[in-house]
Amino acid sequence: MSGHSHAEGVLPHEPEKATLEGRNKVLGFWLFLGGETVLFGTLFSVFIALRDQVNGGPTANELFSLPVVAAATLILLTSSLTSVFAIQAMHRNQTKATVNWLVVTVLLGLAFLGLEIYEFVEYAHHGHTFAASAFSTSFYSLVGFHGGHVAFGILWISLLIWQVLRRGITLHTAPKVYVAGLYWHFIDVVWVFIFSVVYLMGKVG
Amino acid sequence: MTAEHAAAAEQPKKRVKHEGPKKHIIAYIFSLVLTILAFAVVVTGEVRASFVYAMLVLMACVQVFIQMAFWMHMKDRGHTFPIIGILSGVVIVFTMIIMAVYWTWW
Repeated sequence: MSGHSHAEGVLPHEPEKATLEGRNKVLGFWLFLGGETVLFGTLFSVFIALRDQVNGGPTANELFSLPVVAAATLILLTSSLTSVFAIQAMHRNQTKATVNWLVVTVLLGLAFLGLEIYEFVEYAHHGHTFAASAFSTSFYSLVGFHGGHVAFGILWISLLIWQVLRRGITLHTAPKVYVAGLYWHFIDVVWVFIFSVVYLMGKVG
Repeated sequence: MTAEHAAAAEQPKKRVKHEGPKKHIIAYIFSLVLTILAFAVVVTGEVRASFVYAMLVLMACVQVFIQMAFWMHMKDRGHTFPIIGILSGVVIVFTMIIMAVYWTWW
């Protein structure tokens, strides 16, 4: 509601930080990301500890195909950039451009998720199922948890697109878009460690 | 008159404040190069494993630092508390990773 008084006037440059509520949302989200870091960190440390316990199943080196991982990495990295563009368009109060960049981000997220599902199905055919070994369980927990975050992000940003289309960029919707952008960057940041520690190190060891 | 005045006051501020996409595209290119380097180090695979591990961790950290500084605006003003928030998480993670590596691999 507070956004309506500004709807016909000039929106402040960084509308997500123009209200106390918006600033609190951004700060609160950073604290949440601190907690998320710990969550992913526990999964990483478990994976690092158990990654050689294959229980007679395929090893990381036999299993992983780097071209698929490289494609997924490129897609997610690019989607992180397009979400930056969405926030920049929002700062210029360009509703249409904001929505377009968010749509591109969601589509790239879907492509990433599709690749991951294809990858998991492929692994399952090779006997690398969730309960096959300590390696497979810790692998699916870590990478699957990340994939779940991507899926949630797609859903979240899709709903935001719908809301921005209905209400436009206001003091109320802007913090939501900004925070979703932070979330999407965080997903990409976690993926950087996943492709380095899980996939690339798996190919070395 | 007042509205005009406000609009006029808004004008130069706006021009100064809006950042272009340039530095974000540079951050993207840096991330891309670091990613390609990481894959290249593994694919060429001529060097010792421990060296490759160290390189991979280092390059991942640099890439994450670039993305958080530019894309998540952590280098901007007013981000002291966000940095404290995320760093408190990172400290715990760092401890856990060191523990896992030490207990299992040393």
